Amino acid sequence: MNLRAIGCNFRTAPVDVREKVAFDPVKLRASLAELNARYAAEAVILSTCNRVEIYIARPDAGSPVTSALIAEFLAEVHNLDAAKLQPHLYEHVDAEAARHLFRVTSSLDSLIVGEGQIAGQVKDAFDLSQKLASTGPFLNALFPTALRTAKRVRTETGITKGHVSVSSVAVDYVRQVFDTFEDKTVLVIGAGKMGRLTLKHLQALAPGRILVTNRSPEKAAEVALWCGGTSMPWDALDQALIAADIVLSTTGAPEPIVTRRWFDERVFSRRTGGTMVVLDIAVPRDWDPRIHDGDRVCLFNIDDLTRIREQTLAQRKRHIAPAEGIVEIEVKKFVEDWNRRKSGPVIGQLNAEVDRLRQEVVAPLMMKLNGKLTDAEKAHIEGAFRLLQNKILHGPIAALQDAHKEGQGPTLLEAMKKLFRLKE
Amino acid sequence: MADTLLPGISHACFGLSYGVALLLELAQLAWPRRMLRGFAIGFGTAGLLAQSAYILYHHPSPAAPYGALLLLAWVLAVFYLYGTIHYSRLAWAIFVLPVVIALVVLSLLFLNAGVANPPLDLPGWFAGEHFWGALHGLMILLASIGISVGFLASVMYLVQARRLRNKFSPLGGLRLLSLERLESMNRRALNAAFPLLTAGLLLGTVLHPTSQSTADWLSPKILSTVGLWVVFLVVLYLRYAVHVRGSRLAGLSILAFVLLLLALGTAHPFAVGGSS
Repeated sequence: MNLRAIGCNFRTAPVDVREKVAFDPVKLRASLAELNARYAAEAVILSTCNRVEIYIARPDAGSPVTSALIAEFLAEVHNLDAAKLQPHLYEHVDAEAARHLFRVTSSLDSLIVGEGQIAGQVKDAFDLSQKLASTGPFLNALFPTALRTAKRVRTETGITKGHVSVSSVAVDYVRQVFDTFEDKTVLVIGAGKMGRLTLKHLQALAPGRILVTNRSPEKAAEVALWCGGTSMPWDALDQALIAADIVLSTTGAPEPIVTRRWFDERVFSRRTGGTMVVLDIAVPRDWDPRIHDGDRVCLFNIDDLTRIREQTLAQRKRHIAPAEGIVEIEVKKFVEDWNRRKSGPVIGQLNAEVDRLRQEVVAPLMMKLNGKLTDAEKAHIEGAFRLLQNKILHGPIAALQDAHKEGQGPTLLEAMKKLFRLKE
Repeated sequence: MADTLLPGISHACFGLSYGVALLLELAQLAWPRRMLRGFAIGFGTAGLLAQSAYILYHHPSPAAPYGALLLLAWVLAVFYLYGTIHYSRLAWAIFVLPVVIALVVLSLLFLNAGVANPPLDLPGWFAGEHFWGALHGLMILLASIGISVGFLASVMYLVQARRLRNKFSPLGGLRLLSLERLESMNRRALNAAFPLLTAGLLLGTVLHPTSQSTADWLSPKILSTVGLWVVFLVVLYLRYAVHVRGSRLAGLSILAFVLLLLALGTAHPFAVGGSS
């Protein structure tokens, strides 16, 4: 194995550096071809918003591609100063590089551990490299194993469970109350940036109707246009609340816009529908928290949603150790398998060579004994020589397999080539 | 072979099978493993098969508390198995299996108390020999199933509402259906049960043996059944006329189930020859 994983991520490089070294689709294709040609190596480039990494594998005999070379390469592609770039680059070698890839794909090296996007991004990067023929036997074995490992981690641990964005947690709560959404009315109060993000998640539920209200009718109309809803005058807030099933409140008001008394008198007593879910993600809060009763009105404010997000992150942390265990097992297995696969041709050569030697000895012997032996006796002698050949070869082949498990495979493989005078 | 095997099946066979299934479901809740869920379903199915064979062999009378409770337990066991397979990610069994086990244990208590089946000389219409008598029993049984489903939906509703009230993590602990789905399940169950209960009661009143004394009409069974019907009426009035929903409605559904148990657990005055 002669594998290098060289790159930078959110830990080693600030966002302005990562932005500069990120690959757009055109640069990515050209760079893969250039890496193949320049270093006679298999290559995959992983470029996401949090990391840019180059996985490069060369035949054992070739000199390694170092981080200095990759810094020069990146500087060339992106018109940067290689000397300034190099301090941000890390370099993982051989088994460590495989471990790094497995950890990255399993989202153990992500900004938010357990996030689900990275495995897809690794797969896309590998698929593109494969399509452009910039991968070879090694990376074609390594990347699918990394993706399988990520799947194991995902299914055998709880590291990906739960949502870690406030908007997704809000939708999780909504789903605990409602089952169907085509008959539901979503009311948006205000027009904050965070509100739009949450509204996007709510829109994915395909609610029957979206109402928008704002102190500024123009802003209400603008948001209504953006989300395909209907704007309502601010004065009709109580009417809108009576009709609403899900309320997304995100105004910038300095004090609560819905007090308990006002809500009880103007809304609660006049509602005949089911439970109302209020997502109050405004700071300061728009709704009096005492309105929440967990039955007819479920009110969740930004603190509640953030708390669940923190809980999920803490839960994910508990799954890191088992996930690392899976990665370790898979890396060890991959390295052993690869070394075994690499020793296959040598074992084949060894078998062929000893077989040739056996023929050289047995053929003249049979000529000498021709006419003196029955066919059965000839077969018996030939069988005895074959058995001797197998017994002699069993020891070295078994020792080679054991050496791979102990990490001594390459040394013994070289020794075997010399001892038996096998040609490359 | 069936003749040699079936008499050997007892309450212990299916009661313990359901018990093991419940323990496995609880273990599955703490350590989610597909294997545990598979074993739980296996034990649940074994329990249901054993109970089905037991009922087919012994054909307990629904007119007696023992038979009524055992049959209701059987229907709920089917409900458990359907739900646990259909909603495999939800804590369905945790709610249904305890009720099934409780009903099996209750029926066993009645069996041990010697009130397994009505005496042979009971009026023919009630024993199911008469079409209208059998229809009366069937309607009451179907209404009982509706009330039981409503009860289970209500308990799940209250637990889910409590989780929301305390703002527990949506992904931690027990996973349940949404409040909307549970309320709808409760509503549908009660909507189906009320006409059946009403028709069953009316049929019973029309067909009652004229020889019965007034005391029989004041037996616990008749009173609790009428009480159940009244509670039902109140539930439906509150639901549709006053628009009461949520936890209060769930509470009333639970009360209806308690009255149902009382009604099923008391002897039928006409079936056993009087309230005594």
